[in-house]
Amino acid sequence: MKTLRRTMLYVPGNRAAMVKDAHIYRPDTLMFDLEDGVPYPEKDSARMLVYYALRTIEYGDVETAVRINGLDTPYGRDDIEAIVRAKPDLIRIPKTDSADSVREVEQIIEEVERKIGLAVGTIKLFAAIETPLGVMNAPEIARASARLVGIALGAEDLVTNLGTTRSEDGIELLYARSRILFAARAAGIHAIDTVYSDVCNDEGFIAETRLIKQLGFDGKSVVQPHQIDMAHKIFTPTVEEVRNAERTLTALHAAEERGSGVIALDGKMIDKPMVTRARRILELALASGVEANKELL
Amino acid sequence: MKIERTGMAGSLESSDVLVTIDPNVGRGVEVVLKSIAESRFGKQIRLLIEETLSELEVVEARVQVEDRSALDCTIKARLVTAIHRAAKMSHPDWEHLS
Amino acid sequence: MEFRTVVLSYPPDRESLERFLGERGLSLDPDIDYAVACYDGAEIVGAGALSGYVLKDIAVAVEAEGAGVASAIVSHLLAEEGRRGLSHLFVFTRPAAEATFVSLGFTVVARVPQRVVLLENREEGIEQYIAALGSERTTVPGISGSIVVNCNPFTLGHRYLIETAARECEVVHVFVVDEERSLFPADVRFRLVQEGVAGLGNVEVHHGDKYIISAATFPSYFLKEPSEVVATHALLDLTIFGGRIAPALGITRRFVGEEPYCEVTGTYNQIMQQLLPDFGIEVTVIPRLERENAAISASTVRNAIRDDNLDLVRSLVPPSTYEFLISEEAMPIVRRIKTVNSRH
Repeated sequence: MKTLRRTMLYVPGNRAAMVKDAHIYRPDTLMFDLEDGVPYPEKDSARMLVYYALRTIEYGDVETAVRINGLDTPYGRDDIEAIVRAKPDLIRIPKTDSADSVREVEQIIEEVERKIGLAVGTIKLFAAIETPLGVMNAPEIARASARLVGIALGAEDLVTNLGTTRSEDGIELLYARSRILFAARAAGIHAIDTVYSDVCNDEGFIAETRLIKQLGFDGKSVVQPHQIDMAHKIFTPTVEEVRNAERTLTALHAAEERGSGVIALDGKMIDKPMVTRARRILELALASGVEANKELL
Repeated sequence: MKIERTGMAGSLESSDVLVTIDPNVGRGVEVVLKSIAESRFGKQIRLLIEETLSELEVVEARVQVEDRSALDCTIKARLVTAIHRAAKMSHPDWEHLS
Repeated sequence: MEFRTVVLSYPPDRESLERFLGERGLSLDPDIDYAVACYDGAEIVGAGALSGYVLKDIAVAVEAEGAGVASAIVSHLLAEEGRRGLSHLFVFTRPAAEATFVSLGFTVVARVPQRVVLLENREEGIEQYIAALGSERTTVPGISGSIVVNCNPFTLGHRYLIETAARECEVVHVFVVDEERSLFPADVRFRLVQEGVAGLGNVEVHHGDKYIISAATFPSYFLKEPSEVVATHALLDLTIFGGRIAPALGITRRFVGEEPYCEVTGTYNQIMQQLLPDFGIEVTVIPRLERENAAISASTVRNAIRDDNLDLVRSLVPPSTYEFLISEEAMPIVRRIKTVNSRH
């Protein structure tokens, strides 16, 4: 299973050039958008383009995701019917308000998987939370399905719903971000932050990405290729972080070899969260090209 | 599939194709292809168009394809979309689309 | 870069577009029914519009050239046309833009040097039209004449004009304007012309299609425009007629009725008399048939219909037209004439 989702790059599903090339920018995940990035009259065209692209183009080790239209639109069902057959790694559900929303989508995906003889559960899910109700229901949403591997914040509409506007420091999103993150961690899945749409403001993007990393997010949605490198750098662990992680994992392996039950380091127990964190740092390091010992993973 | 009206899909942007399908009553299938890559890929593109028309059982149509260096999957996607739009079919038969 | 529809009835949208076009020496044509603008932040960097099946008023800011803005705008407009079910499309643009449109796959139909170029999205569009006119008849010995008519509806005035031409020619080709901008639908107008000339053995009736007095070749016919624009349109229409259509049929004469009422037609006729001789076509102006000192014209007939003056109508049109006007099929048209106040 994919462990790194530092960047999820939006690719408007109706733009042929981007659909075919976007993986060269090497985001961790490519998100083909059939929803808000595609005008209404072109929904059918975008669906078909993404369908054929996924079945034909070799995207390599870049994870593929498709943001479908909601089931409350005329397009959602057709999107699922088509896209499951194209077998992306993930399907992203927009504007998820409740656990039921997730289950409804899952049911249709399962129907199609059975129809085409694909092992049920193959296609994973991502849920985007974009409304106050969704934020309040985040803990239930995060646990709604075994297929759900992550939840994401979609701030554009949310902020309007809250009755405010997006500010530079993002204080208005603090609660939403925190709640989504906590819900994700409690359920053991990924938490991804919203897009930073002012594509000319690199400083703003960097500041926001640093903030969400500090909050604990696994990654950020991006809309422009140049944002990918900036985000990846921010998610790159420092040398010190890498050394500490290696030390922890080395201690762990040594203890396992000795057959010790409880593993202590520096007077403290090495518990599961510590191990997960150490592994994650190592993976980030390796993905970012920082020197790290792969054997320890 | 029966072509009932004009169906258009795609665009003139680089790496895309613009496909226009019109009814062609009593005149079978006519394909007009405009591509910069005519000499290298013209034959391949025409074959793809013919195969797709045959797959969707289109026997009467005027198909105009404006190629801007698109991949086969793009040509196919736009062609299939245009055919469905021209046939006024909003739900493709996914079981039988290759 | 963001594309937004220009809401033509919303003044701020419309004014932004007009300003952008104005800065580039273009003005927004009054017959535009759809327009799109490409924004870079708050600035328009490109725009394009449609009138029916004609793309026009397309412009891109110099700074945005080469950024695919032109192809994106044209793609947007083509997609809109596709949604309307229109696939045979034309572009009306400045000569400097010819190369751009050719690279986007359009084919030149005709040029008016320094003024305008007309292109279409079919390589053999006009060729197919001309072929369908049946050019086997070019081998007719003697004079081939021509008349272009709208016939809204066909009157005794039209008949007189055609008869006069038919006396002087071996064959007369009558082209009926196909645009649906008149109170009488194009198919009805065409049929009334055919019926009206049935007795004349040497008259061929043809559709003008999109190549003669159409929204593509002479939009001014359907609008009130400043005379400068009318002149450009007239030159385009007549260049196509003189350069492509007339030679295919061996046409060397064109007949036209005197135009006392309509300024646009008057300008067109003037330019026709100047230009067509360059193509070897002699233009003959025939005075209008009069009844009680007034020239018989289709608008006179429409006014009579509006006034329910059937006696007057009967005196102005041939029996074939009159039979139609009192028929049930004509009722919706008659109703429309009575309620609409239109030049056409």
